[in-house]
Amino acid sequence: MAGMPPLIDAHGLVKRLGGALVVNGVDLQCHAGQVLGLLGPNGAGKTTTLRMLYGFLTADAGVIRFEGSDVSRDMTRFKRQLGVCTQEDTFDGDFTVRENLTIAATYFRPRPTEVRRRVDELLERFALAPYAGIKPDALSGGFRRRLMIARALVHRPRLLFLDEPTTGLDPQARVSVWDLVNGLRAEGLGIVLTTHYMDEAERLSDALTVLARGKVVAQGTPKSVLGDMLGEHVVVMAAEPATAPAVAAWLRSRGSGDPLTVLDTWHLPLSGEQLADFARAFPALRYEVRPPNLDDLFLKLALPS
Amino acid sequence: MKLMTAAFEWQSRAVVGRHLRVYLKNWHTSFLPPVMEPITLLLAFGLGLGAYMSGGIEWNGRRLGYMDFVAPGMLAYATFITSILQSLFGAFVRMRYQRTWDGQLTTQIELRHVVWGEILWSAVLTTSYVVIVALVLSGCQVLGLIHLELARLPIAIPIVFVSACAFAALGLYFTAVSPTIDHINLPLFLVVLPMGFVSSTYFPLTHPVVATISTVNPLYHLAEGLRDLLLGPGPGAHLAGLAVLVTLMLGVLVPLDMRLLRKRVLGD
Repeated sequence: MAGMPPLIDAHGLVKRLGGALVVNGVDLQCHAGQVLGLLGPNGAGKTTTLRMLYGFLTADAGVIRFEGSDVSRDMTRFKRQLGVCTQEDTFDGDFTVRENLTIAATYFRPRPTEVRRRVDELLERFALAPYAGIKPDALSGGFRRRLMIARALVHRPRLLFLDEPTTGLDPQARVSVWDLVNGLRAEGLGIVLTTHYMDEAERLSDALTVLARGKVVAQGTPKSVLGDMLGEHVVVMAAEPATAPAVAAWLRSRGSGDPLTVLDTWHLPLSGEQLADFARAFPALRYEVRPPNLDDLFLKLALPS
Repeated sequence: MKLMTAAFEWQSRAVVGRHLRVYLKNWHTSFLPPVMEPITLLLAFGLGLGAYMSGGIEWNGRRLGYMDFVAPGMLAYATFITSILQSLFGAFVRMRYQRTWDGQLTTQIELRHVVWGEILWSAVLTTSYVVIVALVLSGCQVLGLIHLELARLPIAIPIVFVSACAFAALGLYFTAVSPTIDHINLPLFLVVLPMGFVSSTYFPLTHPVVATISTVNPLYHLAEGLRDLLLGPGPGAHLAGLAVLVTLMLGVLVPLDMRLLRKRVLGD
């Protein structure tokens, strides 16, 4: 990837919707053969950012480049390179599974070549061939998602947007979508993915861009994002009245802010040095230490700023 | 300008192509009712009501048989009601329930093409229905039931197409502002049906107030313009009036539809 411009490079994206500043200066990049995970709590601006990237919304400010060229100069040409799988199913209910793929191909110029062969190939690859002749409404949730992704690929795009592709799916269907995403990345497709599932983001993403309140709060590999945002360790302890006030006071004295609370346990992200200090400060306290994960990051981002 | 020239871009034709494919799949259910409706009306109004009007109707100082009067009116009414219902209910269902537009907008199709695709499809469908009504009327002429200038009938086709575009733009406006499909009843009963009645399609307008109101009704000018064409001296002032109203409707309503639908569909 060195020396090659990113497939997509967004800089300083700003968007107001209904008077509210939803996206406030977002920068992000995705290269060919890379999965970029776009993360953030509800209302962070993920979907709005994604919609600006695939041309559904026009940015109030900022620039989006595809392989170095400003896409606003020729949006139609840019959109020929994109595959978009939205959060909600938007099948054409008047057509069968096969016809949905065929009709989608008519919405692109230059026209996709050998459409029939491409549709057969996608039906096979996404295990949709047995359902080719039925209406999409009759498909299970997992197969509907497969059809949504297959439809986004019918014209052989180079950049794929997946907006929460596994929301609402059972674990088996989720794993099969992950396999498909992995395969597409291996073929050199750039993929921008939003998700609420932290395990999904960690497994699939080569790079993360974390949004909170419309701004980028962390960017990099999953490991580096967690390290930067949280530290190397997370102490998990019961929030009991006998010990909690002293721990809260210790955290405040070190400027660490409030602990992350899940039911009646506290999760305290700490660096190695902080963990050693914590152990010295509370020698009699019972607690566990585990590595941080993206759930901790979400909990941290959800805390009031 | 880009909003208006989008009518001629390939994406708008691709949207029309999609609607045409669906129509051809369901032709046996979607084709019959609009074809039977004008035939039934011709029989009911022409033969039924016309039987009580043996003295005929006074039109532009001429006495006409009621069937002759009503035949061009039927072409005009079919143009109006088919295009407006297609862009009201058909478009609303595609926008709100079938999410067809959302799917199209993830491709190279932009909202302006979706809007023009709906308008052009409405006009294509309407024109095809009107052609069928015209064939039925030609059959009536052969049977001696009506007496039109049949040689001028082909001139009516482009007039119908462009008028249908304007009526569809009006229908899409109501689609854009109706929160639910039930709310469509409001414009349907408060605007569309009154427009249909105050139009001289099925009976001449003699009341001075109604006649004054009708001068801003494009359907009135379409009905009278088609009468001038098919019964009278040929294209006249009504078709000129129609051209002005249709240009105004397209010039104002298409950009307005796009603005309203942009907010509604894209949230922008």
